[in-house]
Amino acid sequence: MSHGPSATTAAAPAGSPRARVTAVLLRQDVILLAVFIAMVAFFTAMNPVFFSRFAFANILQDWAPIILLAIGETYVIITAGIDLSVGATLGLSGVSAALTIRSLHESGTGGSTALLIGIAVALLVGLAVGAVNGVLITRVGLAPFIATLATMGAGAGLTLVVTGGVQIAGGPPEVIQLGNTQYLGLLTLPLIVVLVVLVVAWLVLHQTRFGRWTYAIGSNAFAARGSGIGVDRHLIKIYMLSGLLAGLAGVFVYLRLGSGSPTSGQGQELTAIAAAVIGGSSLFGGSGRMSGTVLGALITTAVLSGLILIGVAPNWQQVVIGVLIAVAVAVQQISARRAQKGAGRG
Amino acid sequence: MADAPIYEARGISKSYGSVVALEDVDLSVHAGEVVGLVGDNGAGKSTLVKVLSGAHQPDAGSLHLDGQERSWRSPHEALEAGIETLYQDSGLCPDLTISGNVFLGREKLRGGLLGKLGLLDHRGMARIAHEELDRAGIGLTEVRRTVKDLSGGQRQAVAIGRAVAWARKVIILDEPTNHLGARQSGEVLRVMDKARERGLGVVFISHTLPHVLQVTDRIVVLRLGRVVADEPTSSFSPDTLLKVITGLGRSTADVIPEDAPA
Ligand SMILES: Nc1ncnc2c1ncn2[C@@H]1O[C@H](COP(=O)(O)OP(=O)(O)O)[C@@H](O)[C@H]1O
Ligand SMILES: [Mg+2]
Repeated sequence: MSHGPSATTAAAPAGSPRARVTAVLLRQDVILLAVFIAMVAFFTAMNPVFFSRFAFANILQDWAPIILLAIGETYVIITAGIDLSVGATLGLSGVSAALTIRSLHESGTGGSTALLIGIAVALLVGLAVGAVNGVLITRVGLAPFIATLATMGAGAGLTLVVTGGVQIAGGPPEVIQLGNTQYLGLLTLPLIVVLVVLVVAWLVLHQTRFGRWTYAIGSNAFAARGSGIGVDRHLIKIYMLSGLLAGLAGVFVYLRLGSGSPTSGQGQELTAIAAAVIGGSSLFGGSGRMSGTVLGALITTAVLSGLILIGVAPNWQQVVIGVLIAVAVAVQQISARRAQKGAGRG
Repeated sequence: MADAPIYEARGISKSYGSVVALEDVDLSVHAGEVVGLVGDNGAGKSTLVKVLSGAHQPDAGSLHLDGQERSWRSPHEALEAGIETLYQDSGLCPDLTISGNVFLGREKLRGGLLGKLGLLDHRGMARIAHEELDRAGIGLTEVRRTVKDLSGGQRQAVAIGRAVAWARKVIILDEPTNHLGARQSGEVLRVMDKARERGLGVVFISHTLPHVLQVTDRIVVLRLGRVVADEPTSSFSPDTLLKVITGLGRSTADVIPEDAPA
């Protein structure tokens, strides 16, 4: 995956800046790829099942919702924001789809129609949560951390209220079919959709005004505003995008399980943030790459699946994610400090 | 300079809560004229800049561009009308390249179908940014460098080059020579001369009075939100200018003798 020239974490000035920028980016993605391969090797050595088609298919299936959340999180983090609500939104959207589809199914609506309406409802729920986040941040002036913490709590609570805390099963058979039929050996329909979303998200981030303005806002919102960019409107769109992708992730989890689980989103925001940050997005804003996020999501998913395969209790997952975030941020800060020493003597 | 001003503010007032930042302020600039705007800290210079550039709406007063009354609901509208502003300490996005900054908010799209899909013309923007910075007299043409890798002086040069490149009528510079060394300041002042030659109206805000006296045609002095002097630069000496700014002379007449050279 390549990159636009605007967003870089390039170090010192040099004679051939373009070649240098390319080299640095390449190096970062190469390192991430190496880390991923090392993970796969490690877990395979611990348990050979890890390196089977079945395990890979599973990792890809787990990766799909994570990468969707992480794509949104990448945009948000590049604007110097954070979206803590995506996990809760995933859960709320998933159960909204499940409830809608079940009640349509029970009232005699055809399977495919019920499915389409349910998916639309889930996406609208995601968009709505994102819109609330965007408005709280830009119009009310809350810090992204506070605003999305509030919607995270509200979303998770609402999910429990509408489900009564239990799984929502009982949809038409199309649900499981759609979510689990495999093409080309590995790809399910949700995975194909994820790949399309990924390509579009990458193009938009690195090749369009929308992407360019995302970097500009995170880099210096005041300068962006002075350049005529509608910063508030752009931020609302970004949080709506993040919410929409969380809604889509909720649909995928629902399709895969065949039922709506009120707890399916729990802690997923941290996994998504870990993916973006491991992939090189800076929590201070202004930098991040879609290729890095893809690799970051692969690494986090592989670690989580691998730990389960080698028999680590699932409760350790959150701990591991926390450690991954801390390590990634520390590495970023150390290299940023080095780069700063390198520059500044211009 | 007998013709009508290209850009004019009349009777501008602006308060922040109970703080009166500007009170009944007039300011005008003609095409090909550099007007210096000076005053102590808190005199209201930056506030006036924000009103002129559309970032703030005045509580009272009116703006006139080319003799027509205009009002800006956003900085974007003022930019569209040909008014470029370089804000104090705000100029650039450090994570973008020089070219990305020059084109920020005005990105050029590719031709054909790809352009219709919204894809950026990275190469075209780099080429034009290079040409424009060159034309503005700025010797920084490696436009694919990231701005955070530049020194403070280089960043300022890019910010000014960008404003000059886009300005069609007026360019407003809020303390562009702040934090710059002598040589770099000299470059900034030269860029201002070039802007004047191109027929732009230039508003130059600075605390460095020798720079103001060297480059401007006329000086407007703000004190506590009011205009206390608006005279040709030739009627000030460094000493009298300082007195008007600080208010140590009771009025302009006290510090500028009647027979001052006009
Ligand atoms: N956003 C703001 N909110 C409240 N007061 C402000 C704001 N901006 C400026 N002021 C006040 O308005 C006055 C003029 O400030 P400013 O225009 O920044 O002056 P200058 O640029 O000449 O130093 C000062 O008293 C300042 O404290
Ligand atoms: Mg100021």
